[in-house]
Amino acid sequence: MREYAFFLGCIAPNRYPGAESASYKTAEKLGIKLLDLEGASCCPAPGAFGSIDLNVWYAMAARNLVLAEQMKKDIALICNGCYKSIWEVNHKLKHHKELREGVNEVLKGIDMEFKGTIDVWHLAELFYDPAIVGVQKIRDSVKVPLTGTRIAVHYGCHLMKPRKERHFGTTEHPTWMEEMVAALGAEPVEYRNKMLCCGAGGGVRGYDLVHSLDITNEKMINLMEAKVDALTEVCPFCQLQFDRGQIEIQEKFGVSYNLPVLHYCELLGLAQGMTPQELALDLHGISCEPFLKKVL
Amino acid sequence: MAEKKTKKEPAAKKETKKAAAKAAAPATAAPAASPEKALGKDARVGVYICHCGTNIAGSVDIPAVQEYVKTLPNVAHVDNYQYMCSTPGQKKIEDDIKEHKLTGIVVAACSPRLHEPTFRTATKTGGLNPFRFEMANIREQGSWVHMHDREGATSKAKDAIRIAVAKASLLQDLVPKSVPVEKAAMVVGAGVAGMQAALDLANAGIKTYLIEKNPTIGGRMSQLDKTFPTLDCSQCILTPKMVDVGRNPNIELMTYAEVAEVEGYIGNFDVTIRRKARGVLTPAEAEAKGIVGGGCNGCGDCDAVCPVIKPNPFEMGMKPRKAIYIYHPQVVPLIYTVDFDSCVKCGLCVEACGDKKAIDLEMKDELVKVKVGTAVLALGYEMFPIEKKEEWGYKKYENVVNSLEFERLICASGPTGGHLVRPSDGKTPMKVAFLLCAGSRDNTGVGKPYCSRFCCMYSLKHAHQIIEKIPGCQPYLFYMDIRSFGKMYEEFYYRIQDEGAKFMRGRVANVLEDPVTKNLIINAEDTLLNRPINLEVDMVVLAAAVQPSEDTDRTRKLFGVSKSMDGWLLEAHPKLNPCGTTTAGVFLAGVCQGPKDIPDTVASAEGAASAASIPIHMGEVELEPYFAQCIEEKCAGCGMCVNLCPYQALSLVEKDGRKVMQVTEAKCKGCGTCGGFCPGGAIWMQHFATPQIVAQIDAFLLGGEQ
Amino acid sequence: MAEKEWKPQILGIICNWCSYAGADLAGSARTQYPPDIRIVRVMCTGRVDPLFIMKAFIDGADGVLVSGCHFGDCHYLEGNYKAAKRMFILKSLLKNIGLEDKRLRMTFVSASEGAKWAVVVKDVVDTVTSLGPSPLKEFGH
Ligand SMILES: Cc1cc2nc3c(=O)[nH]c(=O)nc-3n(C[C@H](O)[C@H](O)[C@H](O)COP(=O)(O)OP(=O)(O)OC[C@H]3O[C@@H](n4cnc5c(N)ncnc54)[C@H](O)[C@@H]3O)c2cc1C
Ligand code: SF4
Ligand code: SF4
Ligand code: FES
Repeated sequence: MREYAFFLGCIAPNRYPGAESASYKTAEKLGIKLLDLEGASCCPAPGAFGSIDLNVWYAMAARNLVLAEQMKKDIALICNGCYKSIWEVNHKLKHHKELREGVNEVLKGIDMEFKGTIDVWHLAELFYDPAIVGVQKIRDSVKVPLTGTRIAVHYGCHLMKPRKERHFGTTEHPTWMEEMVAALGAEPVEYRNKMLCCGAGGGVRGYDLVHSLDITNEKMINLMEAKVDALTEVCPFCQLQFDRGQIEIQEKFGVSYNLPVLHYCELLGLAQGMTPQELALDLHGISCEPFLKKVL
Repeated sequence: MAEKKTKKEPAAKKETKKAAAKAAAPATAAPAASPEKALGKDARVGVYICHCGTNIAGSVDIPAVQEYVKTLPNVAHVDNYQYMCSTPGQKKIEDDIKEHKLTGIVVAACSPRLHEPTFRTATKTGGLNPFRFEMANIREQGSWVHMHDREGATSKAKDAIRIAVAKASLLQDLVPKSVPVEKAAMVVGAGVAGMQAALDLANAGIKTYLIEKNPTIGGRMSQLDKTFPTLDCSQCILTPKMVDVGRNPNIELMTYAEVAEVEGYIGNFDVTIRRKARGVLTPAEAEAKGIVGGGCNGCGDCDAVCPVIKPNPFEMGMKPRKAIYIYHPQVVPLIYTVDFDSCVKCGLCVEACGDKKAIDLEMKDELVKVKVGTAVLALGYEMFPIEKKEEWGYKKYENVVNSLEFERLICASGPTGGHLVRPSDGKTPMKVAFLLCAGSRDNTGVGKPYCSRFCCMYSLKHAHQIIEKIPGCQPYLFYMDIRSFGKMYEEFYYRIQDEGAKFMRGRVANVLEDPVTKNLIINAEDTLLNRPINLEVDMVVLAAAVQPSEDTDRTRKLFGVSKSMDGWLLEAHPKLNPCGTTTAGVFLAGVCQGPKDIPDTVASAEGAASAASIPIHMGEVELEPYFAQCIEEKCAGCGMCVNLCPYQALSLVEKDGRKVMQVTEAKCKGCGTCGGFCPGGAIWMQHFATPQIVAQIDAFLLGGEQ
Repeated sequence: MAEKEWKPQILGIICNWCSYAGADLAGSARTQYPPDIRIVRVMCTGRVDPLFIMKAFIDGADGVLVSGCHFGDCHYLEGNYKAAKRMFILKSLLKNIGLEDKRLRMTFVSASEGAKWAVVVKDVVDTVTSLGPSPLKEFGH
């Protein structure tokens, strides 16, 4: 069993606890043990912190990284915003001596030092990597195939971009998450402008809600056009925007879509036989019932 | 070189006490045989420190340096001047040589790559051998790189001069070798640049070999429909030039050929050309084979019967050709070519050709050797594979084309007879978006960081063409800046605005396809209005970046030409010698040096041709005499150097009953690879001899102040 | 001398066609780098006799940089390959006599890489500075 320090983030435990429990349980079935990262703080959010004071962003993320360094474990996480902060700060501090020295100067105050001894992974990429888990193992772990459902994928910007700094190859036409959806027995569905932003990230949601909902609404239109039963993603913040955002869209624009939105770990949990209660699906803004009816 | 043969004892140069004490050095001894001279005996060096206005004086304390230099051994005279390269500056050197009986000159100034020739001439005018000059680079590698470190720059300048004086004390008289220049030139690549260069050379009376890898000359320009800003038809202005090239008695045209090997140096390049088997004989070749009145006359009877169909690269693959083909009807030379990669050797064409007996399906590649004095590279460009910028969907969505495909689609002689249609359904597009800077000015690491320079202008031209040809058709141009810098270009830009083209400043985020209509949806931001744009159009044209053509790297290496960071060929000086290269006798024309439109391409071609004709008209050139010499007493005859020399300049010969190495000066290029190796120190590299270099090292590290 | 900050003495032997031109380009572009290097120009790195380098170390050099054209770009076809081979052998020799082989460095800087030249020099100066004065210095003086 491979062990990783699990960086929870803020949104999953507070808004979608099912995504949290699903991560522990599904990963375990796939040979990954997620260990609690005691004392972790907010990643901190790349838009909210990074666009105001980079040094604070570096220092806080570095503190989280040092906690994992002390455990001598790589970090696994389930949120694209966390990925941007934790992965990118790790990468930057490892490669820029001056930056590292500056951050360590700050960390000295709490008796910590960033050493650059660990790596950071999104749980989804660990799931996809055949050297770690791989699509075949996912397929083998399925007990309740999601047969007969049409599921669209949202990758999320912070995971995939900027391309120069990421390692996923194509940022325009990725299909690896679709493969992981197909492994659950569902039909992955392509839709127009798949790589469009959810609308929330980069501080847009906080700064101008209507504008951010505009973008979400456009995504919803494209998704409805593709006649999907559910949308899946790997980021609780995207999830929040798509899920609770639909309610806000209803309030502000007067249109309702009622499209269930599930974190990939929740979807995987369902397919591995977890119950909707275990996954706390009733805490979603948009009811998952129509989707559950199709699969259970 | 056959002067005094006196035998002198080692290291005649009186080094400083310090240095002399340390002369446990390897091979500091002067060679004992032919190349040997009374090294440095009674050397009297004159040192001149240049201010270069404030370029040097701004960061180097010149009076302090001057005082310091006075303390160096062998320095007989020191002076400084505002601009040493000016006439009064040079005059100082000329006069002082006599007055102070100088035996060596050091100028501490800019780079020897800039002014070594200038000061060598001054040294010569003053009555000394020009090779008794040495330069200390205290500008490019001194004041300019330590601008805010006066102390560091000053101390570096002192050291640089001390090192230069050490070498100047040991310099010898050398005689440059004069070699005759072959009265012939070569031009590689027959686009508009190569054609122009070849015509200029030929018209100056020089026999010119024009080498083109394609079956026809003309290059990219022959694929264009019209040319900005005058809008004259590209073929109409190019075809007469192509015909001139074909007919010029001084031009020997070799199409479907490439350079296989280059040997020699300026004045005497031995070039081997591979003439690829084209399977078809010209009338002249047929006659040589005794086929009277035969050879290909371009009738096309073979084309009619050939069963193999392939895409025609000239038409960007949008029109078919046969396995035996010509690119288009105006090709020069008008000779068919067999594509042996796809030919099935059915022989139908041979039959159709009949008595002309032009087709030989067993033809093989042929190597031809020619000798030329100078060469011009005009290798042109190719389109950047814009599918790498995935966000715009090229090669994914049918109605996204690149600009060169657009040229063929709008060209009257193109695959659609000049009717612009959508590749997906053959319908006339009524809304066309042009994406400028597609892959150019791109710092994402996918595209090219440079500006491709002609895309703005040809996109304006394209907008004009659709407005003119398709009433009601609306062009949209997405741009970063419109760079309309040439003569009458800005006026052309205004004209296209007035004609109704719409301009949106902003880079396109992505292009999406409506799977049903195959229309394209453009997502962008109008950065002038601060508004997102969602625009549905019928067709997208990507003004793709350009990059050096495929074979450029191999070809440039054959000629010893470097490339810039961006891959284009490196000129000798970006401003003052844009056509020259660091290889004497090799010049650059057209886009291969960097993107240029046709007017600039032709101008650069004329420049290159003129530069390439100078050595030929001079009749001879002087080579720097940095040859290797054998110190026979020390040579053990091991022969290791013989294999090391990349130019086969060395051999072992019998002398007085033993084997010694011998140098063929005409072949030696003076790299010093042999001299850097010889275990016995038996190779004397003129001007870079071991004692001279060791003296430099000693001067640096052991000092030498008196 | 001790009170003054110690500065390394570094010899650069560089080829005329690429690295020297690259160093000149750094100058034209006014790219600043530390002044602790002195240059001897040769036509090609192939000319670099290992004895030059040994002589420099015997004379007390703290570091030696040999810089030429990129592989395949040597003005004389393959001088830099031969130089590189010699440098490998020389480095192991240096180790054998107890001198850190990091004091000898071979790099490839083309005529268009002015910025790279500045980076290389800075790096060599930093490396040699962190190694401190050459142990051969005392032996020589
Ligand atoms: C879409 C488009 C539209 C344009 N419109 C205009 C316009 O309206 N007006 C304008 O002024 N400019 C225009 N240009 C620019 C114009 O095409 C160039 O300025 C011009 O073609 C450059 O000519 P060249 O001879 O340098 O290169 P090329 O035309 O590329 O010619 C190079 C030649 O060398 C040959 N070659 C290459 N490598 C080798 C080798 N190793 N051995 C032997 N032969 C070799 C090639 O086959 C080719 O024939 C346009 C360019 C594009 C892409
Ligand atoms: S022999 Fe080759 S070129 Fe001739 S007709 Fe047959 S396929 Fe075509
Ligand atoms: S210097 Fe030596 S190796 Fe170089 S070309 Fe001359 S003989 Fe050959
Ligand atoms: S000429 Fe630069 S390494 Fe040979």
